[in-house]
Amino acid sequence: MGAPEVLIERLNRGVRKRNARWTFVRDQAFGDALTLRRFRLGNGLTALTLVDRSAPTVSYHTWFRVGSRHEQPGKTGLAHLFEHLMFNETRSHPSGDFDRLMERAGAEANAATWTDWTYYYENAPRDALPLLIELEADRMSNLVLRVPQVTSEKEVVANERKLRVDDDIEGKALELLYDSAFRRHSYRWPTIGSMEDIRGFTVRDCRDFYRRHYAPGNATVVIAGDFDERKALSLVQKHYGNLPGGRAAELPTPSKEPSQRAERVFQLPAPTPTEKLLIGYRAPAFSHPDTPALVIANEVLFGGQSSRLHRTLCLDQEVALSVRGSIAPFIDPGLFEMWIFIREGQRKAKALELLDREIGRLGRNGPTALELEKASNQIELSFLHSMETAGGKAEQIGFYETVVDDGAAVFDRLAAYQGVTAADVKRVVAKHLRPSRRTRVEIVQRAS
Amino acid sequence: MRVLVESSDVLPLVDLEIALPVGSLQDPTGQEGLAQLTGHLMRRGPRGLSQQRFEDRLAALGARLSVEVSMRSTRVRATVLRRHLEPLLKLLADVVWRPALRAPDFAKLKRRAQAALTARLDDDRTLGAVCFREALFGEHPYGRTLSGHADSLARIGLQQVEEFYARHIAKGAFVIGVAGDVTEKEARTLVDLHLPSPRRRAKKESVVPPTRARRGRHVVIIDKPERTQTQLLIGTLGARTLDRDLFPLIVSNTAFGGTFSGPLMQQVRAVRGWSYGAYSRLLHSTQRDAWYMGTAPAAEYSADCAALQLDLLERWVAGGINKAELGFAQRYMINSHCFDRDTPSKRLEARLDVELLGIPRSYIDKYDQRIAGVTRQQANEATRARISTRDLTIVVVATANEVASSFQRLSGVKSVEIVPFDRI
Repeated sequence: MGAPEVLIERLNRGVRKRNARWTFVRDQAFGDALTLRRFRLGNGLTALTLVDRSAPTVSYHTWFRVGSRHEQPGKTGLAHLFEHLMFNETRSHPSGDFDRLMERAGAEANAATWTDWTYYYENAPRDALPLLIELEADRMSNLVLRVPQVTSEKEVVANERKLRVDDDIEGKALELLYDSAFRRHSYRWPTIGSMEDIRGFTVRDCRDFYRRHYAPGNATVVIAGDFDERKALSLVQKHYGNLPGGRAAELPTPSKEPSQRAERVFQLPAPTPTEKLLIGYRAPAFSHPDTPALVIANEVLFGGQSSRLHRTLCLDQEVALSVRGSIAPFIDPGLFEMWIFIREGQRKAKALELLDREIGRLGRNGPTALELEKASNQIELSFLHSMETAGGKAEQIGFYETVVDDGAAVFDRLAAYQGVTAADVKRVVAKHLRPSRRTRVEIVQRAS
Repeated sequence: MRVLVESSDVLPLVDLEIALPVGSLQDPTGQEGLAQLTGHLMRRGPRGLSQQRFEDRLAALGARLSVEVSMRSTRVRATVLRRHLEPLLKLLADVVWRPALRAPDFAKLKRRAQAALTARLDDDRTLGAVCFREALFGEHPYGRTLSGHADSLARIGLQQVEEFYARHIAKGAFVIGVAGDVTEKEARTLVDLHLPSPRRRAKKESVVPPTRARRGRHVVIIDKPERTQTQLLIGTLGARTLDRDLFPLIVSNTAFGGTFSGPLMQQVRAVRGWSYGAYSRLLHSTQRDAWYMGTAPAAEYSADCAALQLDLLERWVAGGINKAELGFAQRYMINSHCFDRDTPSKRLEARLDVELLGIPRSYIDKYDQRIAGVTRQQANEATRARISTRDLTIVVVATANEVASSFQRLSGVKSVEIVPFDRI
């Protein structure tokens, strides 16, 4: 890699259009051996590059700051439907061309949508990078939205909803949990949308959404892997430099969720042989200073076979088949989700009592030194695993850039986890994991 | 003893694997699930350490350990932070060669295995997959489920586990794999220090009879209430690993249902929007394993989707793939092959497959040449020779009274069997 200022000067030489001129923003260390570089194109597109020659592959991510939180009641699921539509026809490429060209090049292309973001990615052999840049730039501005594509894709999404929600007990329970735990904030509706809303989308809805959210100023491109930085930036300049700039879309601010003062309990009858408990405690935002200590608490309670709840519920008491916990990594406050899969013939009341006992103990006494060491090591292991491939690195960079405005913050986050003390865990458990702050969905058997 | 090493200093991580050529094919008839129970009981830790202390030790090392049992292998896998490699290797060796196999652990494990069978009833995809293999292979060992049935688990006691362990694992052949931040010399030194003496152990490959297809097209409906969507599997016998036309068949199958751009995905999803996914898979083993198509259409057009898939299958087998489809599949497979080897653990797995499963080394070393060398004639002849359109197993997880009559009307169907989902 050359000096970024020299690189930019060369790339901008002879370029008159303001939108196509690069600005170098900064270098950041990305671990001990790599450097993350931040550039901005005149039209507002942010590009983050991470050259890593450990494998002959490259990963190209495009993150948009739009997710289901930006939708309106009656139009839920639009961000996700739109993700599907982005694989269709453009003014330059007929329907099916995108996938054909990607697959012929050996690239894996896919996308994901959640509450706060939508991202598109390709993992490809290094030689395919020019194709990835061309096709991603093309669909950012040239997408063709017509009735046949929208109709067909709505049917695919309706089927996806049946797969993931209507016929899936966990999906259905999660939908009920978020709908019950949130009363104002847009986190209350599912990212896939309601079936009624999916069926009701029009081509006009899709065109409006595209104009509003899919623009360089609302996107971050991440390129990670084995590539020539100068050539890559030159190609980005060539293909994105013609796109109009302007301000990023004015996004509606989701309503602030009022605090919860009492436990909420719901029952979900389902055709299942075993009962299950899904519990959501109100949790702070991903960037909140309490979150690292809560993540350590999650590891102590649910992390692997030596965790407190696995040991108590699954091994010693044999009340549950499995347990798991996770904290939603959202921009605004979300939920600390806990699942207990109860064994046939066992009582959910017993499982809940044991859960409360362990959480109470952790809130009163904190974790032991061994538990802290285990949690720290396990989190380090997960972190290293997430960094194994170019695609893994690009995903981490894109996520942190979109959620906390700093693509290299994954290392700060690891340091924060490793700095958590027993007192921190004790404090956050006592503060956040109180029954009055939780919503409980009890999945009960319905006779068939 | 073979030690395979894939070095990479990119991350301070090491993957370790002790791979044993024993799996569910060694389950005695009536004791299906024995290999998996044995592997999972070994996972509960070595002699001298309670399960709790064993789990604490693993977690404190920053290690994850799994024992994965398949039809033909048991793989004891661990990932560990580089700084804790040596104690983890020692622990791993104890798990394999000094397992505690305690009675109380066994009793709990067996109850857990039985509870897992019940919990599996929630998972339509798994129900479909289990039933498909049973329906396709019948009594043949390839039709066995790894986790067994409630009846077969009930017949297994600790004594059977101890005997299985003593017979197949304690003195059986094994291969060691090490991948990640360790040099070959370091890895070999550590293995020599902590693993059993490197005497060569005979690898006993069990003799499996040839698989046979049931004549005709047969439908099995797994009847589950309230299904708005169905899981649909349509398939027949696939290939043997050593079939001369394996690579032509792999290429042909990739052209048909191995990519998003192939006719199966295009016709089912892109044109009609009938299913989120649509794919075909070719499995190979010492005897002919399975070939199948998988989709998940809504209940109201599940049979229509099955009819479409049968039509596409017949066209593929009778008409073959054209030159453009062949070239596309070859480019896709060769260009994307870099993702089969972009981490040291993936490279290690490929080498372990060679050692353990009898996969010819050239399948790995000369993959690109083998794919590129397939001609259209070879691909189409292999498809016609191997893929039957007449003898098909069709499994659908659905609410039976909503789909049974429409599946009965599918072309060439000889029988429709309805099985309650809680009897799988």
